[in-house]
This record gives sequence, C-alpha cells and structure tokens, in this order.
Amino acid sequence: MDDLDSRYEVSRTAAFLRGRAYTRVALQFPDEMLQDAAAVARALRREVGSGVKVFVMADTAYNSCCVDEVGASHIDAQTSNLPAFFVFGKAPLDVNACACSLLECSRKSNKRILVLYGLEYAYALDDIKRAIQESCPANSEVQYADVLCSVMSPSSISNEGNECPQSSGTSCSGDLCIDSDVAAFLTNCSPMEQSGSMRKYNLGGVTWEIADEDNMDDYMIFWIGQDNSAFANIVLTFNKCEIVRYDTIANHLSSDISHLMKVLRRRYYLVEKAKDANIIGILVGTLGVAGYLHIIEQMKELIKAAGKKSYTLVMGRPNSAKLANFPECEVFVYVSCAQTALLDSKEFLAPVITPFEAVLAFSRGREWTGEYLLDFKDLISSNKPEIVSTKEEARFSFIKGGYVEDSCLQENEEQSETSLSLAEVTEKALSIESPNKDAILYQGGALTSIDYLKARSYRGLSGEYEDPAPDSVLAGRTGRAAGYSHEQTESAQ
Amino acid sequence: MGRVSVLLLRRRLHSSLGLVSATLLGSGGGSTLPKEVKMVKFTAEELRRIMDKKNNIRNMSVIAHVDHGKSTLTDSLVAAAGIIAQEVAGDVRMTDTRADEAERGITIKSTGISLYYEMTDESLKTYKGVRDGNEYLINLIDSPGHVDFSSEVTAALRITDGALVVVDCIEGVCVQTETVLRQALGERIRPVLTVNKMDRCFLELQVDGEEAYQTFSRVIENANVIMATYEDKLLGDVQVYPEKGTVAFSAGLHGWAFTLTNFAKMYASKFGVDESKMMERLWGENFFDPSTKKWTTKNTGSPTCKRGFVQFCYEPIKQIINTCMNDQKDKLWPMLQKLNVTMKSDEKELMGKALMKRVMQTWLPASTALLEMMIFHLPSPATAQKYRVENLYEGPLDDVYATAIRNCDPEGPLMLYVSKMIPASDKGRFFAFGRVFSGRVATGMKVRIMGPNYVPGQKKDLYVKSVQRTVIWMGKKQESVEDVPCGNTVAMVGLDQFITKNATLTNEKEVDACPIRAMKFSVSPVVRVAVQCKVASDLPKLVEGLKRLAKSDPMVLCTMEESGEHIIAGAGELHLEICLKDLQEDFMGGAEIIVSPPVVSFRETVLEKSCRTVMSKSPNKHNRLYMEARPLEEGLPEAIDEGRIGPRDDPKVRSKILSEEFGWDKDLAKKIWCFGPETTGPNMVVDMCKGVQYLNEIKDSVVAGFQWASKEGALAEENMRGICFEVCDVVLHADAIHRGGGQVIPTARRVIYASQLTAKPRLLEPVYLVEIQAPENALGGIYGVLNQKRGHVFEEMQRPGTPLYNIKAYLPVIESFGFSSTLRAATSGQAFPQCVFDHWDMMSSDPLEAGSQAAQLVLDIRKRKGLKEQMTPLSEFEDKL
Repeated sequence: MDDLDSRYEVSRTAAFLRGRAYTRVALQFPDEMLQDAAAVARALRREVGSGVKVFVMADTAYNSCCVDEVGASHIDAQTSNLPAFFVFGKAPLDVNACACSLLECSRKSNKRILVLYGLEYAYALDDIKRAIQESCPANSEVQYADVLCSVMSPSSISNEGNECPQSSGTSCSGDLCIDSDVAAFLTNCSPMEQSGSMRKYNLGGVTWEIADEDNMDDYMIFWIGQDNSAFANIVLTFNKCEIVRYDTIANHLSSDISHLMKVLRRRYYLVEKAKDANIIGILVGTLGVAGYLHIIEQMKELIKAAGKKSYTLVMGRPNSAKLANFPECEVFVYVSCAQTALLDSKEFLAPVITPFEAVLAFSRGREWTGEYLLDFKDLISSNKPEIVSTKEEARFSFIKGGYVEDSCLQENEEQSETSLSLAEVTEKALSIESPNKDAILYQGGALTSIDYLKARSYRGLSGEYEDPAPDSVLAGRTGRAAGYSHEQTESAQ
Repeated sequence: MGRVSVLLLRRRLHSSLGLVSATLLGSGGGSTLPKEVKMVKFTAEELRRIMDKKNNIRNMSVIAHVDHGKSTLTDSLVAAAGIIAQEVAGDVRMTDTRADEAERGITIKSTGISLYYEMTDESLKTYKGVRDGNEYLINLIDSPGHVDFSSEVTAALRITDGALVVVDCIEGVCVQTETVLRQALGERIRPVLTVNKMDRCFLELQVDGEEAYQTFSRVIENANVIMATYEDKLLGDVQVYPEKGTVAFSAGLHGWAFTLTNFAKMYASKFGVDESKMMERLWGENFFDPSTKKWTTKNTGSPTCKRGFVQFCYEPIKQIINTCMNDQKDKLWPMLQKLNVTMKSDEKELMGKALMKRVMQTWLPASTALLEMMIFHLPSPATAQKYRVENLYEGPLDDVYATAIRNCDPEGPLMLYVSKMIPASDKGRFFAFGRVFSGRVATGMKVRIMGPNYVPGQKKDLYVKSVQRTVIWMGKKQESVEDVPCGNTVAMVGLDQFITKNATLTNEKEVDACPIRAMKFSVSPVVRVAVQCKVASDLPKLVEGLKRLAKSDPMVLCTMEESGEHIIAGAGELHLEICLKDLQEDFMGGAEIIVSPPVVSFRETVLEKSCRTVMSKSPNKHNRLYMEARPLEEGLPEAIDEGRIGPRDDPKVRSKILSEEFGWDKDLAKKIWCFGPETTGPNMVVDMCKGVQYLNEIKDSVVAGFQWASKEGALAEENMRGICFEVCDVVLHADAIHRGGGQVIPTARRVIYASQLTAKPRLLEPVYLVEIQAPENALGGIYGVLNQKRGHVFEEMQRPGTPLYNIKAYLPVIESFGFSSTLRAATSGQAFPQCVFDHWDMMSSDPLEAGSQAAQLVLDIRKRKGLKEQMTPLSEFEDKL
C-alpha cells in the first residue's frame, strides 16, 4: 500500500482536503489507471476520516485530463467551478545522464536553450539545475520552464506550485491526475502573454518567459520526456524552432521529429479539406475548459460568415461510429482542451479539426504561415474574424484540383433560423426532386442537412407505404445479438 | 556571296503575348527563307476594319505529329503575310520564343498569329462562296505536336473552324496526327492537308516520280481513312483530294509549296481544257505520253508514258531542283523564263542549295499556295457556325442565342467562349483568350461569366463583371480596340479572377443564355510529382504558384495528398518538366522547390470471386453485413470510364447493354446500387439479397461506405478498379436507432475490404502505348531499351517505300521515366517515342505474398503515403459469429 500511497500522493491529497474541509470529493482517473481507483479511494478515506464522502468517477466524458464537472456535480461534489487538486506521478529519470546531454547540447548549439519537460519529470528539475550548475557554473545559456501550479480554485489561482520532492522510482508514466482540472490548469493562460518587457509563455502546464526582443525561434527547445501528446503540442506550436528530445527511457537524445512534422503536414491537408466543406459539425469536446461556450459561438459566426452551415453536436468523446451518424457533416470542428485537440484517424468518415484550423480554413484570404495554435483561448483573444468581401475570386481547392465556387452567402441567409421557416424549407425541399443525388450524398454537394435528407433514398417512416403490406406475418429471429439462435446452430454445424 | 540569313519567325502567344519574333533556329544545312520579310504593316484600325468582314475571315489551326514541320511551315506563312503594327515594322528580330522550345526544337504552347492576304481577282474567279472584297484575314494557331501537350491543341480547335493538317511525306500519318484529326473532326473542323517535307524526296531520298506519287497517295489515303469515318451531313465530305485542291505539297523548310491548282493553271491553256479538268488529270490514274500527246487512264507501257502528276508536276520540280543544285545556270535561266519566274540580279549570284531555295520560293511560294488553299477550301466563321452551333451550344437550338451563333450575327447577343488563360507580362495576371461566336465584346462592357459548373437558372459559378479592355495582337504588340465582332479571336483584361480555365461570356442582361459546351481533353494526367518548397516560409508562394499554374495550363492538375504534400500531375514526363519550370520561374518568382521523383498511381482490383462470403459486424455488434467481391467482366470498367454505363443511365438501357455485351442477368442489372469512387468510378455494389427487412434504410450508408472504401483500397489506399461487390445478406437490428449510419458506414467499409482481400487482390499499373519511328539500324537499340523497361512490341511495320519502321509497343508508365533519353542514346538519336496512356494492366504477382514484386510496390506506396507499412490484416475487417 505504501507504493500506492506515494504514487498517488494520498497523504498530500488528504492534507489538501482536510485543509479546506471538503466533505464530498470526486476522484477522477485516467482510463488506464482506473484499476487502482478503489484502492486509492479506500486509502484516502482512511486518511481523511469518515466525515468525507469519496466518490470515484467511473467514466470520463471527454478526456482523462479534463475535469468532468458535469459528472462531478451529479454527486454534488463540492467543487462546482471548481477547486481541483491534481497529482502528477513521478517517472524515473537519470538526472546525471540528462544533465550531460543538456550540457553537450548547449555546447554544440549556438542558440540559447530552453528546457521544457513532461510534468511527470518536474520533480527532478531542481536536481538537473544543480547538476548543470556544478559542472558548468558559468552557463547562462540554459533557461528552464517552471511548473504552473497544481491547485485550481474557482475564485483565484493559488500559486501553490511546489511539487513536493518525494520518492521516485515508481513505474508510472504519463500524467497522473487526481481530482484535477488539468485541462484548465494546462491551458489556463494563453501560450503567450505580454507583461512588461518579458513575454510569458504557458504551455502544457509549464511556464517560461523570454525577453520581448527575443523570438522563440532563437531558442533551441530541450524536451525531457516521452514522445507523447504533450511533446507533440510543443513541436506543433513551435514548429520553426529547433527541438531535441531527451528520451528518459533510452537515456539518449533524439532530434528526429519528422513524424510530428508529418502530423503538421497532415493537419495542413485537413485544413485544405475543410475549405471544401459546406456543412460543418461543431463537436463539443469539453464542458470544463473556460471559454468553451464563447469559442463555440465564435465558430458558429465564423462558419456562417463563410457561407457555410454549422450544427453543434454534443457526443462525448468522438469515435468513428458516432461521427458517422452525421454523414452530412463534411468536417467537424472539435472544441476541446489543447492536450486532446488533435484527433485524427483513418476510421473517421470526415476530418476533425481544431478551432484554430477552422479559422484558417474558413476565413478567406488567411494563409497558413506555419504558425500553429492548439489552444482555442488564443482565438478568443484574437480579433473577430473579419468578413472578407465575398466573391472576390473563385477559390482554388487543392483537394478537387481546381477552382471551385463557394456556396453563396445570401442564399443561406434567406433561411432564417425560426422553426417555422425550417419546416417550410423542409417541405419545399422534400417536394423537389434533386437532379443529382449521388453528388449530394457522397461528394459534398449538400448545402444543408435538408438537402442531404431529401437526397437520401430512405427518409424515415413517412406514413405512406410504397410497397403493399406483407403477405403474411412470419416469426423473426430469436436469441441475443451476439449470435441469434438460428445462427448458432449454423455455426455449430 | 552574301551571308545566308536564317529568319524563322515565330510568334508565341503564350509567354510573349504573341510577339512576332525572329529566332535563329538551327535548321539542317542553313536554310534560307525570304531575305526580305514582307510583313504587313497595319494600324489597329485597319486590322479592326477587316474583322467586320465575317465572310473573309478564316480561323484555323495547324495540327500535326511532332517534328512534321508545322512550326517551320507556319513561320514561312508569317514571314509572308503576318500582320505587325505599323510602328514596329523594322523591329522584328526581337527574340521572345520560350528558350526551352528553341532548345528542344518543339512547340510547347500553342501560338496564334493574324495573317493578311489579298487575293487577286484572277484567283478568286472560281470562288463560289460568299465574299466581301479581296482582303482576307487569317487567324492561325500553331499548336504543339507532342502528345503531352495535346490539351493545347484541344483549346485551339475550339476557337477555329478549319485545320491545316501537316503530314511528313515520308513518315505519313502518325499517332498524334490521327488523335488530333479525330478530335478536330469531332469539333466539326474542316481539314485541308499538306504533304510536307517534299524536299526530302528530291534531295535526301532521290525518289523517282512514280514511287513518290505512290508514297504521297498512300499518305493522303491514310488521312482519308480517318476522315471518312466522320460522315456528317452538315459538314459534307471532309476527305481531301489533290485534284480538288484540298491537298498541298510543301517543303516548309525551303519555303515553297504547291497545289495542283498552280500547275493546272499553267497547263490548262496549253491543253485547251479548263482548270478543273486539268486538275483531275494531274492526279490519279491519268497518264500522258508526250510522244503520242495522248491521255490514257492506264499506263500504256511506252517508256515515255508517265502519270500526269509525275509528268507535269514532279518532274519539272525535280528538274529545276537538280539544275540549281548542279549550278547549271545556263540551262536554268531559260527554264525559269518559260515559267515566268524572274529572279533579282543578286539572287542570280547564289549557288547550289541557296540558289535552289530562292528559285523555288519565287516560283512556288509556300504562302501563296497554302493561303489560297485555306481561303478557298476552309470555311469562314459565317459558314462554319451554321453547322458548328449544334456542337457548341448547350441550350435549345432554336433560341435566340443559338440563332445568333448560327448566323454569326454581330448584332445578336454576345456569345463568347474563353478557351485559354494566357499569362500576362504583368506577373500573376492573365488574359482571357477566346472566340466571339456572336455579337461583339467591347471594352468596358458588363458581361455574365458562366463557369464550367454553371447550371442555367442557378447562381452557381456565375459572375457579372466588366471587361476592362479588349485586346488584339498586332504582331508583337497588343493593341486595345473598342470592340471585337463575332468570328474573331480576342483577349480580355480584367476577368482573370473570375475565370478559372474556361468560361462562356454573354451580355449582362441575357440571363436565359445557356453556356457553350465544355471542351473534352483526349489525354489524362497520369504522371505525378510531389513538390515542396525548400524554405518553409515560401509555402504561400508555392500555393499561389500552383494556382496560377493550374490556370495557365488546361491539362495540369494541382492537388494535395492526404499526407499534406502538394502534387502536380501531368500527361507525361515532358509535360511535367515544363510545368515545373513554369511554376518555379514564372509563377513563384524563382523560389526554390524540391521535387520528388515521379510517382505513378496504381489501381487495386481482384482476380477471382471471394473464396467465401465474408461478414463484418457493426461496432454495436447488432448488425451484420455479408458480402463477396468479384472482378467485373472484361471491358466493363472501360465502358464505365467512357460513360456508356453510369449512375444516370436509363435502367432499361443499362440492363440491355449489361445483358447483351457482358452476359449479365437482366434482373440483376437493375439491382446495381451504385458506382464508385466518386459515384461514377469503375466499381459497383450489387444487391443480391432476397427479402431482407429494412434493406432500403441502410442502402445510403452502405453506398457511403463503398464510396469511401473504393477510393482507398485495402492494399495501398489506391483507387479500386473493376470490382463488383455483391451484398449477399444483411442482419439488422430491429430498432432503427441501432442501425444508423454510424453503425453501418464503418461496417460497410470493413466488409468491402474483407471481400477485396479474400478475392485474390491484385495491383493494376498504367501502361502507355508507345509509337516509335526509326530506321532499320535503330531497331536493335529500340528493342533492347524496351526489353529492359518491361515494354513489349506488338506491332512492327515498315512504312512502304521508306527505310523507316513504325513500332508500336506497350510500356508500363512507371518505367517510362527517362525512356525518351535512354532510347535516344541507344539509337544515336534516331528514335523519338510518343507515349499516350492506353490501359491498366494487371500485375501478376500476389501483393499478399511477402517479397513479391507487387508486395514491394505496396510497401513503397504505403511508405510514401505515410501509412503503416504492414497492410491491415483480413482479421481486422472480417468478423466471425
């Protein structure tokens, strides 16, 4: 139990709970650690006493790193909007080897070095600093990022950023979060903000400042940690920087980020593809990250301004089956926390893009400059998308390989958003036979889901039966869906 | 004697906006064209004046196989009759040819030039058509002969009414001549023929008269065989006949040419018959024996009895040429005097070849013969549009627009077709170049622009914009004119942002006009490269450059791979090379790009019927789809490609074709759910189920899954081809919510992959048809190269009467990179191949068998696309009960 205790920092958590006298606590675990949930809950209960009710949230609606506020409020966890305390595990790190690599790096490179790291290695940062200081005291070329904080409270962000140095050597890796609004934590500030003569960056739970006159391109990023989504975030956001990664398991340096550059090119393709879409689904991928409502509104406006049609969908964590239930959507914009923003799968019928990519795709005249943002907060702060005077020029589509005509803005505006007019349009649409159903159903020819519906060969029960009633009533299948009774006999034979 | 000046005039509409230029092109042995260039000096007003005479205009294109000498021939016409602006008349030596064209000695972009010719009353005596004075305006478009650029030819044909077909007298009708000729006839373009490179007969090959006649008549016959297949009531007989004056014999390089009219005029009075009678005697089975002075229709066997053509045309020319070449000037002058040819004194000093050329040019000037042939036998816009309107206009043929086109009515509503976008010197801007079919287009006029996707009555792809300027070309200068009437070609400024490649323009108020039919291209882009910029920040430049490239070239395709790479696809290696050059130099301001090695698309197909019915379950396990895959019948994928069978057929017609030609069951033919990919591709889903409940509900979802899967096959995510998927059975959940798209679409995709993988999947590779002409001694080299490149020869034919062989072979496209140069190296430059995409060929090796050639290919493709190197195994797609 000691192992569990230290790994999940039960006592520190208990202290935190006692200190604030919470009585109802929800524990949220990433899926892969759910197996320890009962034991952790028991340990915690033991620590804080019976006055506190501890719940384990069995399933997270979105991502393991986002606090499921809605779920938590179901059991009245006293956390509404939302004090949260989070615990990152500790991953083993060979401090000396890491420091050596870092020094070597700084000798080779003529750029200044910025050290960033996965949060599970934050505990070892001081050791590394010390090691560098000892072996090369004059080195001022290395700059370190700090951990932002580990406690969130709704009123103010208390800067209790002291990661307690505890026993290392446990085998867990990845972010371990307990009761944590890591999402908000990880992204509570925009990656860049201006303060005096220094520019402050926040990304992936760490923060650093660089002088105003400096550029991030002037730094070489030294990443300590695994090749995971946090690293991908760094690479994509600072895709023009030189980046090396210290692999904590193999204990060596790797500068190969070509697979992530491929990801970046792939995102570029998805943006191009999104430009051709007429119907866009906005997927609500978080109910916890501040400003999500704002960004959804902003997305809707953006899409409308581009003469396209949007539908907002709440479906929890998207998967291919859920997305394919909306085959009329040619692209989905996924509003979620930065850590899980990049969703891409061969299985998806339509691409899923981030709000930033949506801005690129749907504002005419915006070019991909290489800049890349994963966090939608920055979009909120950025200027409203200006409506470029439409019809300036036909748009070139690299997907279709030719110039295409975007659907006309005015036409879409004619359909005002009242329920009555919707019914009218539907009625009208259903009565007009579409000239080319195939193009509408399978080649993105639909401008609204009404077009799509009218092109479908089956539109649900209409009350008018084309076929005569069946001759006789027959007995159907029996048994379970995993194998109906007649099928089982078949396979038995 | 005085220096031999080589003056080939060439006007490149493309890069230079049609500047008249004089380029020094190395043409074997130093050719002489007319020393003084008699270009026609005009002001814009004068030119504009002739443009109103719709009966005196000839819009024509020059078409031929590569290297049959059409640019050279065009040059000699331009030198004689090209219109240039008054003020620049002395300044024609400006070099503005594309350097790459000069280097390769081939034409890449089609070029246009206006010629002015004044007929004499004498020559117009027999002209029966409508005319308006003796002045003629000939708008001539010289287009590339290399097969990679045939899209340029297509664009040229649309805006012309007649074609001068140039055929090498020795090589005869070659593949490209045939392709383009068919295209021309399909557009209702009336052809005339010139048998070119006559000089080779006299100098190089020293062919005797009868043999030469046989060669020429075979060439003409070959051309007529093609033309005869286009019987067309309105167009009339399109075959060409020397005795009717629709065939000329020319030596473009030496600047002379004749039609039988020339000789008939000469001899008619001598024999006391009229010209047309005389012309008939000068061709075909008509023999003359000078000793008896009698015409017969058979060779009498007497040694002095010769064919009319040989006796009166070929031999005199031969005699003159030989006399010149041998410098027998004492004999020459009396002969010339007889022919009424007077030479200037300084020309009399010339010797040998130079003398010969000068004499021939004076006696039988190419421009006169060819221009008179065109004026006589090619239709004016007023004539041509009467029958072309059916081909051109998409709307009802009795509406006001069709009528205006038919009558070539300058007072009618504007109907203008933009066939091409020409890059302007102003970087990034384009001229919209096209032909006015009715009405007139004027500077400042508001026009309706109907793009290729315009649907009458809708607002899609429709703009109303003002023409900033209407421009015509006077030699190297562009001149703005007030307006341009129908029957002429025109370039417009200020519309380039609204026209992508082609468009139809009408007056602003003509809201009910239908567009002019879009052009069909005969070649398809099969060779592709990925491009990226060397400096990442140049990406916007690359994107902009690609857009412009796509605009400037009707054939090039600029797309993007799923991996985010920019792709340029072209018709062949040469085409791509030119595109890349244009991209980098003209459209990206020289920014550096990295070009991947050429990539070829493959197709995925199946060899046999699936070995078993495969089943996949939906994610919720409540729905099951059972399917089998089988290859489509031979010829069926091609029929789908050609559009003979497609999604919008009348089911009865489709059922008839399928049952009669492909042996399908008639009822089954009615159960085709869809085609794909892109709803028209050569794969299909057929419903073979019996009595399944709710089947109609999932049809759309299955089709969606099929469109997706057929676009990205299971082997290497290449398009599928020639696969029929049969839905054998389905089991569906009784509750509609559990059998929606989310459940069925991914499942349909999986079961399609599973059935593909169980039906012996194979790769198809694209194959070129290669045509090569070469002398016998080069054959060894050709066979060697072809063998090494997995090509195989299926036809080898000696051209009768020549030492040349014609070889036809199939060559995998993937092996074609560097083929031209390898071939030239192996044959010391004697063989020049023309490659056209022909068919898809199945690779016999099994891609599922590790280590096979196909498996290696699949691996390479997957790597390039950034996919998992291992194919997804069947077990991922197929479920068991």
